[in-house]
Amino acid sequence: MSTLLQVDPTTVANGINNVWVLVVTFLIFFMQPGFALLESGQVRAKNVGNVLMKNMTDWILGTLVYFVIGAAVVGIVGSLTSGGDIAGAFGHIADSNAWIGWLFGAVFAMTAATIVSGAVAERMNFDAYVLFTVLMVAIIYPVVVGFTWGGGLLSSSGFIGGALGAGYLDFAGATVVHMCGGVAGLVAAKMVGARKGRYDSNGNSQAIPGHSMLLAVLGTFILAFGWYGFNVGTQATILAVADDGTLTFMGSALGRVALVTTLGMSAGGAMAMLTSARYQGKPDPLWTANGILAGLVAVTGAVPHVTWWGGALLGGLGGFLVLPAFHFTVDRLKVDDVCGVFAVHGVAGAVGTALIPIFAVGGFALNQFVLQIVGVGVIALWTIVASAVALAAIDAVVGLRVTEEEETEGLDEGEHGVAVYPEFVPNETRDSTVATDGGELRTDGGCSLGNAVDSSGSSGSGGERR
Amino acid sequence: MSESADTPIKMVMAYIRPDKLGDVKQALASAGAPSLTVTNVSGRGSQPAKKGQWRGEEYTVDLHQKVKIECVVADIPAEDVVEAIQDGAQTGEPGDGKIFVLPVDSASQIRTGAEGPDAV
Repeated sequence: MSTLLQVDPTTVANGINNVWVLVVTFLIFFMQPGFALLESGQVRAKNVGNVLMKNMTDWILGTLVYFVIGAAVVGIVGSLTSGGDIAGAFGHIADSNAWIGWLFGAVFAMTAATIVSGAVAERMNFDAYVLFTVLMVAIIYPVVVGFTWGGGLLSSSGFIGGALGAGYLDFAGATVVHMCGGVAGLVAAKMVGARKGRYDSNGNSQAIPGHSMLLAVLGTFILAFGWYGFNVGTQATILAVADDGTLTFMGSALGRVALVTTLGMSAGGAMAMLTSARYQGKPDPLWTANGILAGLVAVTGAVPHVTWWGGALLGGLGGFLVLPAFHFTVDRLKVDDVCGVFAVHGVAGAVGTALIPIFAVGGFALNQFVLQIVGVGVIALWTIVASAVALAAIDAVVGLRVTEEEETEGLDEGEHGVAVYPEFVPNETRDSTVATDGGELRTDGGCSLGNAVDSSGSSGSGGERR
Repeated sequence: MSESADTPIKMVMAYIRPDKLGDVKQALASAGAPSLTVTNVSGRGSQPAKKGQWRGEEYTVDLHQKVKIECVVADIPAEDVVEAIQDGAQTGEPGDGKIFVLPVDSASQIRTGAEGPDAV
């Protein structure tokens, strides 16, 4: 007998699988600082604090909203589009056994939400962004999950999937998470309008360099690290229990998703590096970083389904497309997508997921291929319409854009009253009755009339300030 | 008052290529005027504008990064300091920089309170 301990193999498998899910959940959470760095580096120094606030808001409001509303919308949409029952939609709130699964779903939701901030950086009103994040996490993203992973419209039991006799393949969310975020970002960037100075009077695009290539590339590496949780962790079962009680380690499935994830990101980075060198004369670090991410996005839906070389081709295709897709966005669509989220998350996600059947391990199936294309179209269409409606409503209530003066001054000062890179700060407490600028020291930057006259006397700058 | 009080104090202010700073420091030390203040600055002179690139989109960079050197002397002739900087900083290409000599009204050493040329 090889059995030394009398234990229920299901308990062992459940324990190990759930701990694995928690570990990868924490890894996926670590994509948030990756996004924060990636986006911060691509904006000017005067808007870094605003980008950081948006990234934190995505997480803090997103988790609250997704627990109370979003996760239930997934169940409701999944049931309504597959003829199921919606009675248990809010069941996760009172069931502690559902909470690990909820958290695993939540980190994906917050990834979709945070992609949008990169597209609308440097000019979107913070209140408007907060409202959009809430709608994104409460409705726009959960509906997409309901259509797919939630067993709805596009799944094998849903109305479209059932009709085609297949289930929509998107393993870890190349379209469900990334294309949804990338397309919502494109719509938002279009509706908010281009940054001041992004296009000249003839409509030609003008470069607005970000303030730190270093932060952008470090953010990319952190994102790629977290992405292992995103892709490999979606292989949530690492110990499978057979009917006779034997345990099987899912090493082959885990190995495939880990390898294809790695080959995809590397092929994407390599292709973007080559493309940038071909079109710009020199290999470009920012394009290469974008290519790594586009390669990851392109294989995110495909990792367990495709051959290793198919994964490398898909990743390479994502990386190759990122530069032309960005130029199409900026020069043809005239949309100022600051961090290129449509090229990186939208285009790579759509192409990588639509082409899964071409490289499928089990061979090509036409109905699956049709479903993939229909699925990409359905998710894109829903995201465009829902985002546009949400943004139009927000525009009517609070307005989407900051004032021109605030945009010039920077959103850090205007929206948050901070400087991320302060120049000179006092190093000790001073006599507060003597203001070094000739007026009263106020945290709002203003100047009271009486004090300005008192402290500056009859001559000097006080009179002018009045 | 010491007799050196009549020695004129001069400030030599130069704008040079950042990569020539090491050569200039060495030349100044050899000329007997090792004290200096250095600042990173941006400026525009005869050097043509260059192109920067962000995501392959070009933009014009017409302010070039330079290093500003301030060197205040009394005992050493300002001409020697100018010559040393010129020797250290010259490449012959546009953008080598400029050197200016300014009179200094007075000087005080903060630590000792010494005044005039003694403070320099």
